[in-house]
Amino acid sequence: MSGRLIIHDLWIGSIVLQVALAMALLEKRTWRNFPAFAAYIFFCLFEAGITYALFGNKVAYFWAFWTCETIGIVLGLAVVREIFTNVFSPHPALRKLATMIFRAAVMALVLLACGVIYTQSANAKGMANAVLLAAEAARLVEVGVIMLLFLSSTAFGLHWRQNVFGIALGLGMFAAVDLVTVTLIGHVSPATQLAFRLARGISFSTSLLIWLGYLLLPERATSSAEIPKQAQLEQWNQAVMELISR
Amino acid sequence: MTITVIVVALALCAVMLFYMAVRSRRKKAGQSFHPVDLSAFRTLIDRDDELFMKEKLPRSKFVRLKRQRIRVTARYVGRIASNASAVLHVSAAVRLSPMPEVASAAAQVTELAAQIRIQCLVALAKLSLEYAMPSLQLTPALLVPRYQTLRENVRRLGDLQTQNQIPLASAI
Repeated sequence: MSGRLIIHDLWIGSIVLQVALAMALLEKRTWRNFPAFAAYIFFCLFEAGITYALFGNKVAYFWAFWTCETIGIVLGLAVVREIFTNVFSPHPALRKLATMIFRAAVMALVLLACGVIYTQSANAKGMANAVLLAAEAARLVEVGVIMLLFLSSTAFGLHWRQNVFGIALGLGMFAAVDLVTVTLIGHVSPATQLAFRLARGISFSTSLLIWLGYLLLPERATSSAEIPKQAQLEQWNQAVMELISR
Repeated sequence: MTITVIVVALALCAVMLFYMAVRSRRKKAGQSFHPVDLSAFRTLIDRDDELFMKEKLPRSKFVRLKRQRIRVTARYVGRIASNASAVLHVSAAVRLSPMPEVASAAAQVTELAAQIRIQCLVALAKLSLEYAMPSLQLTPALLVPRYQTLRENVRRLGDLQTQNQIPLASAI
């Protein structure tokens, strides 16, 4: 089976998964808690439909694909903001500090993205390369912000709700693979370009599966069984005392 | 070319980070509370005896002892941070309680635990600096009273929650 055929099959498979995810979102009424994520998924489905319909017309496909990609990246950033709000809203003390850190980081990432555009703009001849460069800069900001979200929540010791974690993980995985693809695809041979497109398709389908899995699996309840027994506590206290007296 | 390498490295770091996040989430599923002996911790961060040690001991021995002490203190701070994180998790669930006084107490506990978590980050940064430069004295003094208050609030929350028979406060 040729690479192009596999990419085509992956595309069809991803459309099926997107339909399943859209149905799961409707069934679970996820748009109430995650309107940006729901909008992102429905837009991806719309993009898949429109690009599939325009596949035969190269010029129309090019414009439709990149217009939808631009909107998709903006919606992706809105999803990141939604996750941030969801993770930090119950903790006003942390939210203030996290907002400050995020503002500084976003500024640094935008500067890095501008650096990418400035240094590579001389080599980016033609519309396609310019679009790829813009996509690279935007994905760079998206991946950086998602990384910061994971790092800050780890530093603050926050527990993510299952579906929030799934949304961030799926989005992060796809954005990271897409960042590598748009960065390197202009510098490699056509055969390697095909491999990158394949990797992008696989990562998008994987993200869809992650979202489906995390949305459909029931949330693990916090149980009092996690709280240790008195005998265990005494053992631990003993261990700590030994640690100090070492 | 350099910037391309930086961008690709960042993306690969992101993939690694996501993998680690999934792994740590699985580990956290079985997270439990670690008791902290506050009087021992207080002794560890009380630096009055440090001046005496600094005067009496040779510098190399003082540096070795101080670094040892910092390592143990850092473990304590790590435990406090881990407990604060676990309290954040439990109290976030209790905040949804239909009883307003329970929900309000849980909100207070959550806020305090979040503040302690920040204090722990600051304390660990101070300890790292002290480890690098043992002549420095940057005591994480605020941590003990705050943690004591957290324990009391958690105990109060446990009292309010009639269905919670397990002494959570004693666990931390």
